[in-house]
Amino acid sequence: MSGSLQDLSGLDRVIHEPARLMLVALLSSVESADFLFLLKESGLTKGNLSVHLSRLEEVGYLRVDKTFQGKIPHTEYSLTAKGKTAFNEYRKKLDPIIRQHSRAAKL
Amino acid sequence: MNVQIDTVLKRARGYWFIDGFTEMAAGGLFVILAGILLFSEYMPRASFAGWFLSVTSEIVIAKLIGILVAILILWWLKDHFTYPRTGFVRGKQVTATQVFVILRNVILFLFLPILALLAACLIIASASNVLASMPAWFPVGLGLIWGGMYLLAGKWMGLRRFRWLAVMMALTGIAIGIWQFTIGLPTFPPNIQSGIFQPIVLQTINRTLMSLGFLILISGVILMLSGLVTFLRYRKENPNPYVEES
Repeated sequence: MSGSLQDLSGLDRVIHEPARLMLVALLSSVESADFLFLLKESGLTKGNLSVHLSRLEEVGYLRVDKTFQGKIPHTEYSLTAKGKTAFNEYRKKLDPIIRQHSRAAKL
Repeated sequence: MNVQIDTVLKRARGYWFIDGFTEMAAGGLFVILAGILLFSEYMPRASFAGWFLSVTSEIVIAKLIGILVAILILWWLKDHFTYPRTGFVRGKQVTATQVFVILRNVILFLFLPILALLAACLIIASASNVLASMPAWFPVGLGLIWGGMYLLAGKWMGLRRFRWLAVMMALTGIAIGIWQFTIGLPTFPPNIQSGIFQPIVLQTINRTLMSLGFLILISGVILMLSGLVTFLRYRKENPNPYVEES
């Protein structure tokens, strides 16, 4: 196996799952977002989204802040420092793999 | 995969512009500023310096109040219209350094052109031809700079309509430049002295301010139209606030 392919096995599996990757990517470019935004942007079902958000919270990548706006409950999700680092590391590892295989495909 | 990640990142960055409100507010502000510039021509002027100072202060005050009012209106609209439909997003927290950078860019983007015009007048003796043609090249340059900024912003946020806005801004600047050139530029005498208070220099400044006024006016109208189209599309796609399914 080539070096870059071996690197694939070192990718963070929590983030590597496509739905969670999308959620982490969305949250990485904002301070925080609510459930509705993540639901609309990800196109996931409510159940699926809840499961993935719980998984991200479980590993410490996600912080959940529950507040009230008047009488309406409002939940905001944001990436923790650990989550931001994990996402940056993931992108750093993935970039060279993609570049190497793009070059190989052109040859 | 990374291409898809970039797309997702851009969508989140451009969320503030999803409903078109920001463009409409910015366009409205542009129209007000252009109104002040264009109507300043008819204001009584005891001296050029006094008139220029008065117009500049009015623009600065209108800009500060306008930005504050626009932000309040935008918050209210987003709170009552956008967030119930497509969700709430809190933008990245801005640090003191970033605030400084934003302020610096606002100054560069809005104040510097007027200051540059003034500075160019003060060095007139060595550059009379450049100054004489200022009513033509100034809007062209500014239109191209604004176009470039919209292009970069559109690329960063993945907003395709910003490319069109960039093209429209650049074309507007070029069109105003051509118009000014066609109606004839001020002719400077060969022995012109340094200094701003000369009829020919004042005429050039007035013509350039008029060009700037038209550029801001047309850009404002373009922004308002773009915002309106975006808003109508957004409303069509999200007619009602999101309701939890029971």
